[in-house]
Amino acid sequence: MSGFLRILENEVQLVALLFLVFVYLFRLVWLFKFRSRKERTFPVGKEGRGIARSLMNVAMPWAMESTRKNPGFYVQFVIFHIGVAAAIAASFIIPYWPSLLEIKAVVRLFQVAIAGGLIVGLLRLYRRIAQPRIRLISTPDDYLSLIFMILFFAAAVLAVPNEFKTAEWPLILFFGLTAFLLIFVPFSKISHYLYYPFGRFFFGRTLGHRGISPAKKLSKGKAE
Amino acid sequence: MKRKRGRPSTTSGVINLPLETKSQDKAKADQLRSVAEGRLKLYEPGSDNSRRFLDLLSRKINRSLATSMVACVHCGLCADSCHYALAKPDDPTMTPVYKADQIRRIFKRHMDWAGRIVPWWVHAQYPADDEDLNRLKNIVFGMCSACRRCTYSCPMGVDTALLVRFARGLLTELGIVPEGVFNVSRDQWETGNQMAVTEEDYLETLEWMRQEVEDELGVPVRIPVDEKDCDFLYTINPREIKFDPRSIANAAKIFHFAGERWTLPRWGWDQTNFGLFSGDDNLGAYVAKNVYEAAVRLRAKRIVISECGHGYRSTRWEGYNWADYDQRIPTESVILTLKRYIEEGRIRVDPSKNGEPVTFHDSCNVARSGGLIEEPRWVLQRVCMDFREMYPNRTDNYCCTGGGGLLSMAEYRPLRLEVAKIKADQLRATGARLVCTMCHNCIDGLTDVIKHYKLDMGIVQVMDLVERALIT
Repeated sequence: MSGFLRILENEVQLVALLFLVFVYLFRLVWLFKFRSRKERTFPVGKEGRGIARSLMNVAMPWAMESTRKNPGFYVQFVIFHIGVAAAIAASFIIPYWPSLLEIKAVVRLFQVAIAGGLIVGLLRLYRRIAQPRIRLISTPDDYLSLIFMILFFAAAVLAVPNEFKTAEWPLILFFGLTAFLLIFVPFSKISHYLYYPFGRFFFGRTLGHRGISPAKKLSKGKAE
Repeated sequence: MKRKRGRPSTTSGVINLPLETKSQDKAKADQLRSVAEGRLKLYEPGSDNSRRFLDLLSRKINRSLATSMVACVHCGLCADSCHYALAKPDDPTMTPVYKADQIRRIFKRHMDWAGRIVPWWVHAQYPADDEDLNRLKNIVFGMCSACRRCTYSCPMGVDTALLVRFARGLLTELGIVPEGVFNVSRDQWETGNQMAVTEEDYLETLEWMRQEVEDELGVPVRIPVDEKDCDFLYTINPREIKFDPRSIANAAKIFHFAGERWTLPRWGWDQTNFGLFSGDDNLGAYVAKNVYEAAVRLRAKRIVISECGHGYRSTRWEGYNWADYDQRIPTESVILTLKRYIEEGRIRVDPSKNGEPVTFHDSCNVARSGGLIEEPRWVLQRVCMDFREMYPNRTDNYCCTGGGGLLSMAEYRPLRLEVAKIKADQLRATGARLVCTMCHNCIDGLTDVIKHYKLDMGIVQVMDLVERALIT
């Protein structure tokens, strides 16, 4: 392995990761600077249960009409995010647990998972371009974030075999893109995972407090 | 107003409707107290409204709103849940995400780092002038009933209805509002109720209804006003005084048979709250506080809210928060009161008196934002022979299409009725002869839908069916 690749796989990644963490901390401070409202009404349900259910929403495709109506979209979502998880895992496994990738089945498993994400990414890009209502709301951030993820998946598929003795370029491409994305992500829509818990928390808190979700039991004669 | 380059065209034409200020001019000329005291805001064409809008945005935004501003991933799933987008699939400006983006882009330009540094990256943009703000007005008031259906369909938990209400509130502060919104807000500020009912009319109508019930039953019946230490304070919708006093008579009759100790207040009887629709938290707080303080003044043990969707949501939930007023006594919909009467045997009902097929329309503010979902069904199943659900129902039900204050905005009526096709199809599919709802706003909204789409249906409220089913 060349010295360049070794540094790219290790020090460069760590610096980029630290940058991402730093920017996210800054972002969280920014979000917490907005005032929070105080709830002054008697609860009907339990806020904690509403929050928990809302956070679990991602794993309950039956809970929302949008995913009930579009099961294919939900399957795509799952495949895409499994691909993301696999590609991110690969960026740690390659430098820190390379022996795992000496098992051919593991390599194939990673490649299939990541390729799934790649295919869904292409489908999503097509959808964003082809559907007028999605095209109208799409920003350069939406397009480029998706394109970078597609490139990231493609590079990850090539890099996972970790055959640096044969050719280093797939690994250089993959780790170069990983470092780039770690710096790029906080400024892009890919950061949505940072906001997901907050969005679901606030919505779930209201629904829980008002006894909407989880649905309250029909209690006898109780005044609110 | 001219359409700027690069803006999408719409089939509705709603986006470019001009700002009408005749009512505002008259309010100014009349030197109304609410105007003089700065509570009712007027449009000031000469001032830097774009800057004022941004200042208000910075001052009023909170954490949950900021989250909804930044969390959207533009997946577009919300489009499938919006009756506007469903009824007009070829118009891309009808999707909830597009509408929310019109406020989101201003927030991003003003407060979000990416939008401030590289605005083109996220399509961030300041409102250039009053024309832009007027366009925003037409979107948030005229193209959304704030039914919150899209919020329930958002994987990220983005509350688009909350964003729409927030934008409405900022525009209301600048007087950039539809005439109807201004007029109702004016009446509620000036008279304490949204239909400008005078105290004389109010008391006369109550007396008229008392007489009606007494004549019908042949025994003394009371509609108490301002009595202290009652079991509950009953609050109503001004529409009941103006257009539907029979609902007050029904309530009086049922409370009479239940042996209830109740009262209406002389002041603070309007449980409706246009602050919910205009986004004006100050108005919301003022109206809600009138009710809460009436309950304190009369030492009522409970506040009971007559059948009204936004009134229930405002008085039971939002009003306490708008007014920074800690809830002290139970505050409930009259549906819970009716349920309790039936459970406790305080009234007896015979479902065979309501033999025709009845379906139930969930008011958005009652179900999605209020949590009263099974209670009205529990009552209906006991007072009707043939109760049937419409689909989708409960928190997935469609808006009556008159929500969000749209009934007061005549300029948006053609679009409202066009997109009501979704609701009309849903109603027709039930085969019911009666649609029941626990909301006065929905009564009017559904009446429009039924007339426009020539459906063979009548509309009732839960109280009507309970009254009909009473065993006296």
